[in-house]
Amino acid sequence: MQAGSKKSSQTLPLESAHVVELANISKSFPGVIANRDISLQVARATIHAIVGENGAGKSTLMKILYGLHQPDSGTIAINGEITQFKSPSEAIAAGIGMVHQHFMLADNLTVLENIILGYEPTKYGVLSLGNARKRVKELATSIGVDLDLDLPISELGVGQRQRVEILKVLFRGAEILVLDEPTAVLVPQEVDELFTNLRKLVANGTTILFISHKLDEVLSISDQITVIRQGSTVATVSPKMVDRLKLAELMVGSDLPSHGKRTTLVGEKIQLSTNNLTVIGKNRKNPVENVSFKIFESEIVGIAGVDGNGQFELCEALLGLVDIEGTVEIGGKDASKLSIRERLNQGLAYIPFDRHREGLMLAASLWENSLLGHETSLSRGPMIDFDAAKKSCKEIIDRFGVMTPNELVPAFVLSGGNQQKLVVGRNLATAPKVLIAAHPTRGIDVGAQAAVWEEIRRSRDAGMSVLLVSADLEEVLGLSDRILVMFDGEISAELDPKSATPQILGKYMTGTQ
Amino acid sequence: MTQSKNFRLFVSLIAALAIISTVRLWTSQDALTSSDTIGTALRLTVPILLAGMAGLWAERCGVLNIGIEGMMIFGTWFGAWGAWQFGPWAGLLFAILGGVFGGLVHAVATVRFNIDQVISGVVINLFAFFGVRYLSELVYVGKQGGGISQSPPQKWALPRFNLPILSGGEIAGWKSPDFLGWLELQRWFILGDLGGISRGLTHNLSWATVIAVLVVPASAWVLWRTRFGLRLRSSGESPVAAESLGVKVNHLRYYGLLISGGLAGLAGGTLSIVASSYYRQGQTAGRGFIGLATMIFGNWRPSGILIGAMLFGYAEGIKLVASDSITALFLFIAAISGVFFVVAVIRRKRVQIAVALSAFLLSAIAYRTVDTVPESLTQALPYLVTLIVLATANQRLRPPAMAGVPFRPGEPH
Repeated sequence: MQAGSKKSSQTLPLESAHVVELANISKSFPGVIANRDISLQVARATIHAIVGENGAGKSTLMKILYGLHQPDSGTIAINGEITQFKSPSEAIAAGIGMVHQHFMLADNLTVLENIILGYEPTKYGVLSLGNARKRVKELATSIGVDLDLDLPISELGVGQRQRVEILKVLFRGAEILVLDEPTAVLVPQEVDELFTNLRKLVANGTTILFISHKLDEVLSISDQITVIRQGSTVATVSPKMVDRLKLAELMVGSDLPSHGKRTTLVGEKIQLSTNNLTVIGKNRKNPVENVSFKIFESEIVGIAGVDGNGQFELCEALLGLVDIEGTVEIGGKDASKLSIRERLNQGLAYIPFDRHREGLMLAASLWENSLLGHETSLSRGPMIDFDAAKKSCKEIIDRFGVMTPNELVPAFVLSGGNQQKLVVGRNLATAPKVLIAAHPTRGIDVGAQAAVWEEIRRSRDAGMSVLLVSADLEEVLGLSDRILVMFDGEISAELDPKSATPQILGKYMTGTQ
Repeated sequence: MTQSKNFRLFVSLIAALAIISTVRLWTSQDALTSSDTIGTALRLTVPILLAGMAGLWAERCGVLNIGIEGMMIFGTWFGAWGAWQFGPWAGLLFAILGGVFGGLVHAVATVRFNIDQVISGVVINLFAFFGVRYLSELVYVGKQGGGISQSPPQKWALPRFNLPILSGGEIAGWKSPDFLGWLELQRWFILGDLGGISRGLTHNLSWATVIAVLVVPASAWVLWRTRFGLRLRSSGESPVAAESLGVKVNHLRYYGLLISGGLAGLAGGTLSIVASSYYRQGQTAGRGFIGLATMIFGNWRPSGILIGAMLFGYAEGIKLVASDSITALFLFIAAISGVFFVVAVIRRKRVQIAVALSAFLLSAIAYRTVDTVPESLTQALPYLVTLIVLATANQRLRPPAMAGVPFRPGEPH
């Protein structure tokens, strides 16, 4: 640990009112320019939001601030002092703490081990576990968190994991807190709790950098907002001066496509239905219990729910990945006994929950990824038709606006949003009859989100049925023709999106109603 | 919670002792729990135990080590060379260094150059086999007792000792009574077995064995009680998270692999210095891979690896000391499977019922029909025992989450 670079706030001269000052930061990766000449100033004890589309370079910028990447050019000044962070430990020593978008936790290690890792209180290299436990307990109590420190992380829920992340940062005595998309996984009530905590932290003198693309949240919590577009800073504004629409336009750089009301009617033919569908849990409660629903032609049915209430297992059951009781019908025909391939041939398509785990081969090229599942149509005999496969990939790239140098680069080069566009494009390109879309716009920006929604709407108007699983209530409310709420493996409510609000949904989703 | 767990462990240990004691008295096969058998078993346990610990250190830091066998080969060769030149203690040191060399090669290949971890391990195995053959040609050929596949015999052996009072060790020239030996000779139910087993563990011990067994608590302590250990485990569980907290993942993977190599080398050294007095080609005989199996069996935990290694060691030991007793062992397996069968029926675990029942029937039939067991079958016995235990033990395996996944620091994740 680099001692001495950490200064207490009282001894600082007045001119360094800016705790963090980034000047002319540029950074490029092979084939992609992530940051171009970015400058940013953050005042002490404020919440400074950084908004921008996915791939705009927010995460890269924060990783540079945190020492995970080194900038190609530009300077970082902390408390008025120009510094270079060669590694996160140097950034941590300077009082910077980061809560990552994807939780940076080791599942098999305990809560305590995760919190102290990298900053362990020791005596001659031996962990002082008793001392560590006492300090973590104190910290947890001070922000009103109750956690069993000896549980492995794998047994915690999402909200609890985030609390572990925040405790981790506080344990290091961070004065500058970077939160990367902290609300992406939380239900409205949990978001309120988080915001209460953040305001307390700011009152105690902590400075917070808040990265998000949920504009309402940004407007409600921040003191300053910096907008980043295509790797450059566009503007720094006060939330009092702008509204949601203005902010969105700054992010996207053009007028947003209007959503428009639907003009077509829901069809009469049932395209997907289940009858008392149950997924048997091995050594645990059944993850899906007696679920029955019907989806008509040209209809979007949204399933709202907190992650882990059976939505994932429901999708797997519809696809034929798990054994079920009850029946699944696709296009009016019993599909319960069909294999996965046969179900896909019946016109089923699936946008999976986790694009990294189920959607993409990260190390393979884009055209190979877009080929997945369509091998038969893009082959000549047993051989893959390379030209046709690449051409089809190019079409997806153009139609869905995937930002990439070409179709030959590996998928891990793309930002999360662009990866998701590729996955969505792959599944919509073949004009399926029934689409199961699980979090189709998770982690992607407003511009890309609007584009994906528009494509889903267009396909629906052309007759496609959609089962939309999402934790993003705005998405569920904006897109669905009908909403089902899933709680604890069962359908707990059926709502009309015209009369439902996020608060009502939140209550059903958490089982408080 | 822990008290009832300890109590259950105690009860099952007594039950196992009672079963084997009954089998011993029934078949009059005293070799089942004689101090001879147990002593041999302990000697055979050591290299497997060390190989398993080598696997543990590698996988805990996040790198698969298929190359343990090769690193053990380095250990046997360099150990024997060092012992031949400078004496057994220096030999063990050279064995460790030989293994460390193998670990370093693996680390440079997988951590520095991101070569596939399995491929690197396999290459190390091949390289070690042919490399030491080449070295033998340079060094051993033409020496008395040496050749291309064998080193000259060593002049000195490591000192051995008996535990005083209990197993007849000497204190300042006074020969203390051999209490456990006396107990073993009485052949009493349970007590006789206890005497034989305890005497086997404390009689005619090599210091190298003591060191090897101490590796288990030492590793557990370092991995779970020190900063270095926590960081090393985090490199295997979630290198991305570890890096974000300032842990230098790749440095730790180097250390983990060097320790892994050193332990594998020591495992090889015990084969060529303690278990015999010369290097011989093929001396490791696949123990590196058995070590990996015990690591999985032991759920990536030091204590589990110790139990797994003892199981292999015992099965191999009884084969060497008293191959007649193997038929009695069939009866023992039948009895144990029977117990497992009852437990499985009570708990209604279908797969376990089937496995335990077939194991019971097979071993019961084997006991009734087989008089002499062919050599090839006795060699397969340890594996059979492991297979049965693996299938019936209702354990939740928890391997390090990111073992085997290459990590490139500073890239967009």
